[in-house]
Amino acid sequence: MLGKGGVGKSTVAAALALSTARAGGRALVVEVAGQQRLSQLFSAARVGDDEATELRPGLFGISIDAERATEEYLAGQLKIRPLVELLTHSKAFHTFAAAAPGLPELVTIGKIWSMAIALRPDGGAPVWDTVTVDCPATGHGIALLETAGNIEELAAGGPIRDQAARIQEVVSHPAATGIVIVARPQELAVAEAIEATATLRGHGLPVAAAVLNGVHPARFSASDAPPLRAVADAPGAVGEAARAALRHLEQQGDDTAYRTRLAGETGLPVIDLPRVVRRRIDLPALELLADALAQGLASAGAAA
Amino acid sequence: MIADLTTRRLVICCGTGGVGKTTISAALALRLAQSGARTVVVTIDPARRLASALGMTGLSDEPRRVPADAVLGEGAGELWALQLDAKATFDRLVSRYAADEAARTRILENRIYRHLSGAVAGAQEYMAVERLHELVEDGDFECIVLDTPPATNALDFLDAPQRITRFIEGRALRLLLRPGAVAGGLGWKILHAGSGTVLGLLERLTGAQLLRDVSDFLAGFDGMYQGFADRATAVRTLLLSEQSAFLVIAAAEPDSLGQAVALSRRLTSDGFPLSGVVLNRVHALPGEPPAEQELADALAAAGAEDPGALARDAIAAIADERVLGLRDLDARAELHAAIRDGALIEVPSLAHEPVELPGIAEVAAALGP
Ligand SMILES: Nc1ncnc2c1ncn2[C@@H]1O[C@H](COP(=O)(O)OP(=O)(O)OP(=O)(O)O)[C@@H](O)[C@H]1O
Ligand SMILES: Nc1ncnc2c1ncn2[C@@H]1O[C@H](COP(=O)(O)OP(=O)(O)O)[C@@H](O)[C@H]1O
Ligand SMILES: [Mg+2]
Ligand SMILES: [Mg+2]
Repeated sequence: MLGKGGVGKSTVAAALALSTARAGGRALVVEVAGQQRLSQLFSAARVGDDEATELRPGLFGISIDAERATEEYLAGQLKIRPLVELLTHSKAFHTFAAAAPGLPELVTIGKIWSMAIALRPDGGAPVWDTVTVDCPATGHGIALLETAGNIEELAAGGPIRDQAARIQEVVSHPAATGIVIVARPQELAVAEAIEATATLRGHGLPVAAAVLNGVHPARFSASDAPPLRAVADAPGAVGEAARAALRHLEQQGDDTAYRTRLAGETGLPVIDLPRVVRRRIDLPALELLADALAQGLASAGAAA
Repeated sequence: MIADLTTRRLVICCGTGGVGKTTISAALALRLAQSGARTVVVTIDPARRLASALGMTGLSDEPRRVPADAVLGEGAGELWALQLDAKATFDRLVSRYAADEAARTRILENRIYRHLSGAVAGAQEYMAVERLHELVEDGDFECIVLDTPPATNALDFLDAPQRITRFIEGRALRLLLRPGAVAGGLGWKILHAGSGTVLGLLERLTGAQLLRDVSDFLAGFDGMYQGFADRATAVRTLLLSEQSAFLVIAAAEPDSLGQAVALSRRLTSDGFPLSGVVLNRVHALPGEPPAEQELADALAAAGAEDPGALARDAIAAIADERVLGLRDLDARAELHAAIRDGALIEVPSLAHEPVELPGIAEVAAALGP
């Protein structure tokens, strides 16, 4: 899930995982950079950073902390415990790791990759049916997705390059990875979605679909406008309700225009998710979004 | 509160995703320019929404004049805007400070540099520090308004000056710079003898070539390190001083509020001068909905085809607005309880998305005295 700040990446990630889990699959949602949005959405305790926490039957969450992931990575690479400790306890290493641009992103995407390809010890089936990554907002989200490809090019050889290449193979393969661009029906979010899609494609990364989140329900049609306008000047509550209806009608029109523009300029299937008017998104609201998403994905798949 | 900001050199807007940092930064810069200050609004978010908000086709690493005369008014200062370009900033830095032509070429042609300066995540925050330093030193602007990326990355930016100095003054850099320390040289064998050295371990991870490239890259900057450290320290001093002012932007959504309060506390406890919180996109609370029959009668008289259904939908529309209005009333109360008096600005949710200058001017006017 990639998109502008606040468009609903975390919400849509949770809804997607919920729809997998409700269909009997095992879904993992990955939060990065120490975010803790899942625990709010599912009113659960903190989501773990080393092992996945089960939030609902079949739905798990994990919140990757780059520093921890670095240590874990080193342990896997160096294998010899005392060597790992020497390195992680070294102040020199810490200043180096903290200052090295790209390192937190590399271990983060590396950990995601290892979870995505993990197989069960018994039958060899994948551990997770879907792994949904809740990326940081566009600018830093794209950097995360591009990291493996960049390191692959930058390192001439050696273990890091080989690992980056293996990660990049999965991240860039359209059968393995699908980047979903999330937008709101608003100018800035749609502009950013269009720009992000072009940038990702330019780097050979597979953008699969766009989600237009927070679409107003189609309550009114153009023929409702004249009577509503006639009543809008009425005093008190009657006029106020007519004005609210006209505002809603205008937003319906805006939503349609943004959908057309998003679909036209990206060529992506656009899945609408309804605007939920609640104080906060709770489980019933997430279930509603999960259903809308499953439906949208099914018809986008059918269209493709 | 805005009047108080006119005396600051630097105003920094931060907050979580999508709360209105870019919009408020642009509006605030417009206000400061309106009050007479030559102002530049700078975004260090790699996403390029500042240009969209100002209705400009593009921004670059050099300040561009915002064509704002229509909204600036009499006696106003100029309004300029800039989008950080990490690569352009880094290239300029190298050209300006490299010891000689050979050193310059050595850096510019290093493969690590070519990747790092452009694409690699994290370089953005370092270059933001450098760009800010340049702007302050150049002295072209009385006020600089800074639009930051969403919260976690904004904190990365605030930490960046310290990370730079720690790295430059630390042992890691000296190790990597020691001649012959890296694969190939005699020193390498000696280091390797104790096979537990940090460098030896690093090489096992990265391979000899990458480590050699890194070492070479860092060596290229020989003689420039003190400059990096000095500028980073100067920026940190400015950020902590009374010449700066931080504004936390919040939206009335429940999660956003908690994060805004946490961010405000974090800034204060880290010693950054917090001026206040902007609660953005506050929804107005409409009155109670009318009786359905009364509305249906009025709509029938106005010629509606199915007045009953239309009345129900209209009531649903106003009920939605009431949910958001009530939610935002609570949000306001919650923030008032958490934040000292006089440090809260409320900006209403505007009927039309405030993009392009008239919209930004509307937000600017809503910022209060
Ligand atoms: N007062 C307001 N009334 C109505 N819409 C607003 C208001 N302030 C901001 N917006 C809109 O809300 C959306 C988010 O605003 P903006 O892009 O400024 O947020 P941001 O914090 O910079 O986001 P990001 O985290 O992605 O950088 C935009 O579509 C913007 O036009
Ligand atoms: N379909 C929707 N309808 C109404 N509100 C929504 C919807 N999707 C998300 N939100 C709200 O928008 C805000 C931002 O959502 P979030 O998922 O945290 O965004 P992001 O992860 O992109 O920053 C939250 O307050 C969330 O409850
Ligand atoms: Mg999120
Ligand atoms: Mg922004």
